[in-house]
Amino acid sequence: MDAWKADVAIVGAGGAGLRAAIAAAESDPSLKIALVSKVYPMRSHTVAAEGGSAGVVQAHDSLEHHFHDTVAGGDWLCEQDVVEDFVARCTEEMVQLEHWGCPWSRKEDGHINVRAFGGMKIERTWFAADKTGFHMLHTLFQTSIKYPSIRRFDEHFCLDLIVEDGRVQGVVVVDIASRRFTLIQANAVILATGGAGRVFRENTNGGIVTGDGMALAYRHGVPLRDMEFVQYHPTCMPGTGLLFTEACRGEGGFLLNRDGYRYLQDYGLGPAEPTPRNKAMELGPRDRLSQAFWYEQQKGRTIDGPHGPVVHLDLRHLGEAKLRERLPQIYELAEEFLGVDPAKTPIPVRPAVHYTMGGILVDGRCAAPLPGLYAAGECSSVGIHGANRLGSNSLAELCVFGKTAGAEAAAFAKSVAHGPADVLLKQAAASQQRALELVTNASGTERIATLRKEMAQSMEDGCGIYREARSMQATCDKLAELRERYRRVRVEDTSSVWNTDWLLAIELGYQLEVAQAMAWSALERRESRGAHQRLDGFGERDDANFLRHSLAYHAGADAPRIGYGDVKITGSPPGTRAYGAAGERAEQERAALPGRTGEANRG
Amino acid sequence: MNTSDPRRPYVRPMAGWWRRNPFFVEYMVHEATALFVAAYALVLLVGLRRLAQGEAAWNGWLEALRSPVSLVFHGVLLAAFAYHCWTWFRIMPRTMPPLIFGGKRVAPGVITACGVAATTACSLVVLILAWGATR
Amino acid sequence: MAETTGNGKVVRIEVLRYRPEQDEEPFLQGYDVPFTDDMSVLQGLQYIKDWLDGTLSFRWSCRMAICGSCGMMIDGEPRLACKTFLRDFPAGTVRVEALAHFPIERDLVIRMDDFLAKLERIKPYIIPKEARTLAQGEYLQTPAELDVYEQFSSCINCLLCYAACPQYGLNPEFVGPGIMALLHRYNADSRDGAAAERMEIAGSEAGVFNCTAVGYCSEVCPKHVDPANAVNQNKTRAAGDYFLRFITPKGGAR
Repeated sequence: MDAWKADVAIVGAGGAGLRAAIAAAESDPSLKIALVSKVYPMRSHTVAAEGGSAGVVQAHDSLEHHFHDTVAGGDWLCEQDVVEDFVARCTEEMVQLEHWGCPWSRKEDGHINVRAFGGMKIERTWFAADKTGFHMLHTLFQTSIKYPSIRRFDEHFCLDLIVEDGRVQGVVVVDIASRRFTLIQANAVILATGGAGRVFRENTNGGIVTGDGMALAYRHGVPLRDMEFVQYHPTCMPGTGLLFTEACRGEGGFLLNRDGYRYLQDYGLGPAEPTPRNKAMELGPRDRLSQAFWYEQQKGRTIDGPHGPVVHLDLRHLGEAKLRERLPQIYELAEEFLGVDPAKTPIPVRPAVHYTMGGILVDGRCAAPLPGLYAAGECSSVGIHGANRLGSNSLAELCVFGKTAGAEAAAFAKSVAHGPADVLLKQAAASQQRALELVTNASGTERIATLRKEMAQSMEDGCGIYREARSMQATCDKLAELRERYRRVRVEDTSSVWNTDWLLAIELGYQLEVAQAMAWSALERRESRGAHQRLDGFGERDDANFLRHSLAYHAGADAPRIGYGDVKITGSPPGTRAYGAAGERAEQERAALPGRTGEANRG
Repeated sequence: MNTSDPRRPYVRPMAGWWRRNPFFVEYMVHEATALFVAAYALVLLVGLRRLAQGEAAWNGWLEALRSPVSLVFHGVLLAAFAYHCWTWFRIMPRTMPPLIFGGKRVAPGVITACGVAATTACSLVVLILAWGATR
Repeated sequence: MAETTGNGKVVRIEVLRYRPEQDEEPFLQGYDVPFTDDMSVLQGLQYIKDWLDGTLSFRWSCRMAICGSCGMMIDGEPRLACKTFLRDFPAGTVRVEALAHFPIERDLVIRMDDFLAKLERIKPYIIPKEARTLAQGEYLQTPAELDVYEQFSSCINCLLCYAACPQYGLNPEFVGPGIMALLHRYNADSRDGAAAERMEIAGSEAGVFNCTAVGYCSEVCPKHVDPANAVNQNKTRAAGDYFLRFITPKGGAR
């Protein structure tokens, strides 16, 4: 076991991890920062984000509008004080990225351009063609190279947190290339490991999105908050689940059913107009659009494809020139993966799992209840997404809260002294031993892929777009069975160099526990809100009983214990969540109420 | 556990690299045709030397050029030149800064075509001049 | 038990295996993989990993040609496995090897620290021409100014261009096409003012003059970056800098 003494250790080097590393390095250049990632930073899944990142810039827009869009979009399950802070800091972070070189798309006069996005009242989505996440990630990664105090541990897999004396004191990592173990001793640890979408069958996520950080925190007693809220993105490639960005619709794309009819007008999102109207039709929020697909499927109005029913994303009327300029990656994906020329033929799409709204419980300073532990990005639940995230809020979140986490962790690290290395090393050795047992367990019989496949199918069956107690219970039971079978998992590869079989087994362990937190939180939430929709008599939002965050607590080999926490309301009391023409009426009514406007801008 | 480094990266040999890919073979052929350019320069140099040696030597050289072997050789040279020229202009768009014309980038194919056209035109002009001079 | 696939078609995937703890040198191992027409080579490899041989190692993540992980030699050509489709090998066999010109760490995994070290050397970040505070807002940059460098900023670091560059294979000191594209990306950015510093690398022994304009790097680039263009534009510039220093008093542009 090697040991390396850092001040701050960051696990995950995607957008949030990199932004945190830079913030920590800038807050005090004398701090030693360890940046751990199981892949090279530029492979992190931030890379796949397409459409853009939110930040109010236009004169007729306001922070209050962004605040209300976000809170209503989240079906009022947001921490409103945190949302206020978030919307107030987005634009500065986008400008910061611009200064660091991000190639934002521009207007003719040289100012940055913004585009429309689902659920956003006014265009405020900064974009770099349709490769925004890619450009943000590479900008952050390349900028991070400027800071000598950041030491990267590329292709190092995190096995455990070291918790001693009631606080986090480091992480145990293993070098994938050599299987050398290292204890990174650190007074503050930031988890920035991304989401857990791979626990579902059809998803937009990369293979690395396995909920590692969530599981690590969860195992050490930190609750996972609002895990039942899993976002289905409405326009994904059938079979693989690859994403066709919401910007397709922001630029004016239509969704058509088998009759060529813009079916969203039947689901309270109309009226259908020929050009995009913000917060209406195709620019409604993702949960509503995915739910509308489900109903169309029930009515037999979808189109049958080789990978199940689909609807059509029609971009033909935008013309090839605009598509090549604004949506070049989408164009190529459609051409190469589906053999479809989107300027001539509509793209077949269906919903797939995209984003984990819930995550590691942290406060507005990104601090978890466990001292020394911080989290940022998709793995965290800082409280801005509520029951449904709006597109382009997550890239902004990476920057805003990555920065917060970096600065806060740096400050905390300076306030405490390093603990005794021998005690920590002993713990680390035990973690190493547990991890290696998976390889030495020669009696293993369960194939990794079988367990993973059954888990993913079960999550789709029980925790899909619409849910009911019976199927959710079946998923909970299945996950318990899979966890039991996982004890006999078989790792075929026993070698030390690049043993990915072993890592897949460890990831599967993480996934099963995170999946359990999702399924049990879902089962216990007896209402419908945002991305959590039930068919079994709990079809309405129930603020009296469930305007509360769910909290899943790890309970060893057993099912998680589900508790609840309060929701912070500041400027926006729960109201009717409506879009299209109905939404505009609701907004006028809200504006007419005395003393409402402007509250979100305070402070 | 951390005693020895189990990594043993394997470095593959480069010998015969250019035969591994048709693109590399083409590249080598392109490079090889440069030798033909050099060969023709040599032919001209010999002619210059013969000219300096007097009329008889010069006429002998002209005579040699008319031999069947020389004609075949020149045919081969011409083919090699044409190939070198075509492949050279094909890579040219990759070697220059973007050419903006009327607010738009000039397409690589256009640049290649212009290069080939210019070469063809120059060759024709030289051919016509030479033909005129020898009549 | 194993995944069922629809139409009964089978492809033979021959993989260059190398397990440093067991094998003296790499060898080909064949697997028969059932496939459908929409399956990528990556999905074929995943099938092998999941159902036939768990010891096969390769890098992959996004599946959509943007993370740059799954570059490999497919029938001798550098390709991204995620956007190369099994249907395109009508002979029914496809050979998959680790990216050429890099040391093989294991199976299809190459050792790429060299690329990272070079990336760090070229200062791949904006060194501003003129300082600007966040409160002053963004630097202005017209679409035309963006267009000058945007294609070079699209490099996903997949290293296909290095596997396509025989000069890199022959001399690993050469900074290579991808890094030159990134170097040029910053030098050509209207916000940057440190081109002279980076040109020292471009014009060095390991720099652009190692390139003999094979051009295959740009052919194989999955993102239309055209790294050959970045290299060759900088040949002109580096040559200019070299001669300028003889005629300007302080060494010109260095």
